[in-house]
Amino acid sequence: MLEVDGLRKSFGGKPALQDVSFAVREGEIFGLLGHNGAGKSTALGIILGIVEPNAGEARIAGVSVQRNRRVALRHAGAIFESPAFYEYMSGWDNLKILMSYSGGFDAAAAREVVAEVGLADRIGSKVGAYSHGMRQRLALAQALLPTPKVLLLDEPTDGLDPEGIKWFRDFILKLRDDRGMTVLFNSHLLPEVEQMCDRVAIIRQGQLVYDGDLAGIAEERLVLRIDAEPLNQAQAVFRQFGGEEAGDGRVVFPEGTDAAAIAKALVEAGTALRELRPVRRSLEDVYLEVSGSPEPEGGRSQP
Amino acid sequence: MRLFLYQLRGELKKLFSRRRTYIGYVVFLLFEAVLLLVFQLEHSKEEMAELLTENGLAFGDYYSSLTVTYWVMGFSMFMLGSIYFALVAGDIVAKESEDGNLRLVLVRPVSRLRVLLLKYVAVIIFTVTFVIFVGITGYIMSVIALGFEGGLFVWNYEMKVFAAYPDWGEGAGRLVMAALLIGVSMCTLSTIAFAFSCLKIKPAAATILALSVLFVDFVLLRFPFMQSYRDLFVTHRMSNWVYVLENNLSWAKIGESYAFLGGLNVTLFVAGWMAFQLRDFKT
Repeated sequence: MLEVDGLRKSFGGKPALQDVSFAVREGEIFGLLGHNGAGKSTALGIILGIVEPNAGEARIAGVSVQRNRRVALRHAGAIFESPAFYEYMSGWDNLKILMSYSGGFDAAAAREVVAEVGLADRIGSKVGAYSHGMRQRLALAQALLPTPKVLLLDEPTDGLDPEGIKWFRDFILKLRDDRGMTVLFNSHLLPEVEQMCDRVAIIRQGQLVYDGDLAGIAEERLVLRIDAEPLNQAQAVFRQFGGEEAGDGRVVFPEGTDAAAIAKALVEAGTALRELRPVRRSLEDVYLEVSGSPEPEGGRSQP
Repeated sequence: MRLFLYQLRGELKKLFSRRRTYIGYVVFLLFEAVLLLVFQLEHSKEEMAELLTENGLAFGDYYSSLTVTYWVMGFSMFMLGSIYFALVAGDIVAKESEDGNLRLVLVRPVSRLRVLLLKYVAVIIFTVTFVIFVGITGYIMSVIALGFEGGLFVWNYEMKVFAAYPDWGEGAGRLVMAALLIGVSMCTLSTIAFAFSCLKIKPAAATILALSVLFVDFVLLRFPFMQSYRDLFVTHRMSNWVYVLENNLSWAKIGESYAFLGGLNVTLFVAGWMAFQLRDFKT
């Protein structure tokens, strides 16, 4: 439904994206992760036709955004981190104006969508008086009104309170389940991505470093929490099995390693084995492993 | 076309929903009232009487609502209009770009050219209607102050225009044409500011740049050795609306000037569009 193929983009000679490719299947929620400045927003901008790539192409529903932008964007709706509306106008008038650029305004459809996002009571009020949560609901309404096939969300839950985040998450999941909506979700909030997304891609310094199934992440490598003494003898055993210490007593072994064999080897090596139990790898573990240390400005990434 | 008009309605609604748009109207009304008061002062009347009698015209016939409207319109457009139109036109793209509104528009299935064209047409409509508003309100205030009767006396030293219309109908007709041409002249100012607004700059910078261009043009035009090139100066061409008030009306002369301004406006719009088209609107 959404394909990104060999995207390259530089700003002032500095590469922002280097040969980034990924595909989002119909009806799935796809998470795009990365530090600040990693290139996520640039990728999203290229997909939406507001940033021109140096090379590569983005396709929405099989239509190239770069070659046939207007047709491609008929299938897309977008929400940005801080949606900017015309503050001095009502939410309803904002929808009317924005929809005029999508081919026309259908009042009945708008009323339905506004009720769906829970903004019916305040749609006549000026946007200047809206809370951040209400603005995000209005942003959802404007993105859904053209009945898109793909929804592109650029850090939509940033700044929302926990109730707002939960409402937003449930709404997006409902869109996927009820309408089969395809969603590209660009976020720093790893727990949100973990709860919502079917697959994720991780971008680091403009390069795609991970693209995979979220459900399969935990099974890809074996992570064990091990407490054994003396440590040097235990570490020799870890090395023997290709294990790497990941801190906090966790050791990461290659896919297919047998935990029982490690336990046996540790006992045979004469260590006092107090604890050995598998640890489920979270998205955060994978993210930190593949994305490395955050950039100095990347303070918003999860610890 | 129907969709274009629907979208244009939206652009105009945005423009006229802003409180500051109306602040401009109020400021102009106040400015017109002040100018009218100045024209009512004895000293002003004496100067006007001297000018008229020196040229064999009766003060009573030409110190009228039409004559005062001519002065009020010219002064207010020169002194305030330039700033106000540069502010509005300099804002129209740059402010939406700065605030982020444009992103929500540009991710829709609409071309950037169409978005710009809509904004430009909205600015042009605003400019022309505003000048007409100033003309009408100036005339209404003048009628309240001086009465309905009287002819039109026109005097512009720089443009070498001197004309008198004793008949109210002819004078009023010429004044209406002058108001329309001032509106068209002011569109050039708006276009300059609009073109700067298409660049990746702050709205205030677009306004300042537009005013700076016109100021430099205006100052250079006053250098004596530049007089032979005066037809190349934008501010000179913008002042050619006054030719419509000449007794011997020359449409060829007026047409030439407005063709020059029209060509300049198209060029500026295309330049602004090219810059806008090449911009990345990073989220």
